Amino acid sequence: MDPVDLLERIAATLRHDVGPAVGADYPRTQAYMASVVLGKLAGELRAQPAHSRAATAEADALYADLQAAARAGELPRAVVGAVEAAARERSDAHLGRLIEQLYAHRDALGVVRFAALLGRIRQALKARLARELEYSA
Amino acid sequence: MNAPAADDTTRIRDYLAARLPGARDLSLANMQQIAVGWSHETFLFDASWREGGETRAQGFCLRRDPGNALLRELSDLGEQFRVLECLAPTPLPTPRPYWYEDDPAILGRPFLVMEKVPGECPNPWGREGRAYYAAAAARGVLPASFTDALATMHSLDWRAAGLDFLGVPGPGRDFALREIAKWRNFIEATGAAVHPILTDLMCWLEANAPACDRLTLVHGAYRTGNVLIDDDRISAVLDWELQVIGDPMYDVAYVLSDLNREGTELLSNVVERETFFERYEAATGIAIDEDVCHYYHLLYAMRSAAFWMSASDLYARGASADLRLARTAWSVPVVLERAARELGY
Repeated sequence: MDPVDLLERIAATLRHDVGPAVGADYPRTQAYMASVVLGKLAGELRAQPAHSRAATAEADALYADLQAAARAGELPRAVVGAVEAAARERSDAHLGRLIEQLYAHRDALGVVRFAALLGRIRQALKARLARELEYSA
Repeated sequence: MNAPAADDTTRIRDYLAARLPGARDLSLANMQQIAVGWSHETFLFDASWREGGETRAQGFCLRRDPGNALLRELSDLGEQFRVLECLAPTPLPTPRPYWYEDDPAILGRPFLVMEKVPGECPNPWGREGRAYYAAAAARGVLPASFTDALATMHSLDWRAAGLDFLGVPGPGRDFALREIAKWRNFIEATGAAVHPILTDLMCWLEANAPACDRLTLVHGAYRTGNVLIDDDRISAVLDWELQVIGDPMYDVAYVLSDLNREGTELLSNVVERETFFERYEAATGIAIDEDVCHYYHLLYAMRSAAFWMSASDLYARGASADLRLARTAWSVPVVLERAARELGY
């Protein structure tokens, strides 16, 4: 049996068979919550291959755009460094540091460039969030 | 509600007997352990005894630190007890505090004992609770009492009450920046990866922190579900875990938030917006600043993300076996989606 199918099956058993048979409030809630958690895990695992492909393509496009912006304009050195590090490492921590650098150098960037760079990152994050909400909401 | 373990009941009775040395034939009745809330264990019971030839009776509420509570780092029971002591002589309805014990030899972990205040506290997220608040709103007394209690809190002389031990923000933007720093530390303590949208939100909050020119006692979670109601009036403001000295708009924003109502336009399920504005402003002399409240809605999004990250971390590292905490890992994106919309994503 496919592991994801198995998780969903267990979640359904907990919700429809185990939970209703439990008399006390707390363990019944726990059975229901176990069902919810396993259901969400199953959803996350089922979506993972497609989401992973989308995330890679999106990151390629995002960092290409940011690196192009870094090359085209006179950006503060710390911002350029953060763009390069984020493009290289592709981690949440590095993307977070880039966002922090944009805010830290907001005055030097000016309103338009700050909004353009942060807006491009937000565009990618919005797409990522939409994927995460497929199994979180 | 559940019946507590027999061992707990015996130990509570023995403790009370020690605290009431003149009491004879002490007995406890109606012992209940309330099964709501993730932060502290709460026991309600009625004690009766004979003293000086008379029969006496008193209801008590005991809160015990479960050792792995959400928010434990932010507000321990000792601080809660001290806040209740400070508030006891004020006009704000709160439970009278009796004793605080940090000796784990007594009940296993620190605990406080306070007055069992008459009243009920329906869960605003359930069908029955919503019906209760809708009916109370229609009668008109509770909306006024709910608003008045907040106005009373925001009008207290908190220095005279001795509440400055909570920490007093400096002028200008200090209050908001302190709150951001507090919740940022809370997030970092989980050790979990920070979602970049949360980073964006924290940076935005720091860049746009509003100035605050009037400091009051701020409850931090003032809504139905955190107040006791008796005969349609607030008989006690509860859940003193997030209180600070700060911007009163922080509480007002919480009341205005649509996160604290369900299936109704009534603020906190109980009061019409116009009524709340008029009554609160008249009672406090404080004009409600909706722009500032909007800012605090985003700060609450950060706080919610911090709650959920901390809760799921408690489960992940084995500090709690409560699966409700495990489930909160998936609540973070839901909170961030709301914040992202507010930020203009």
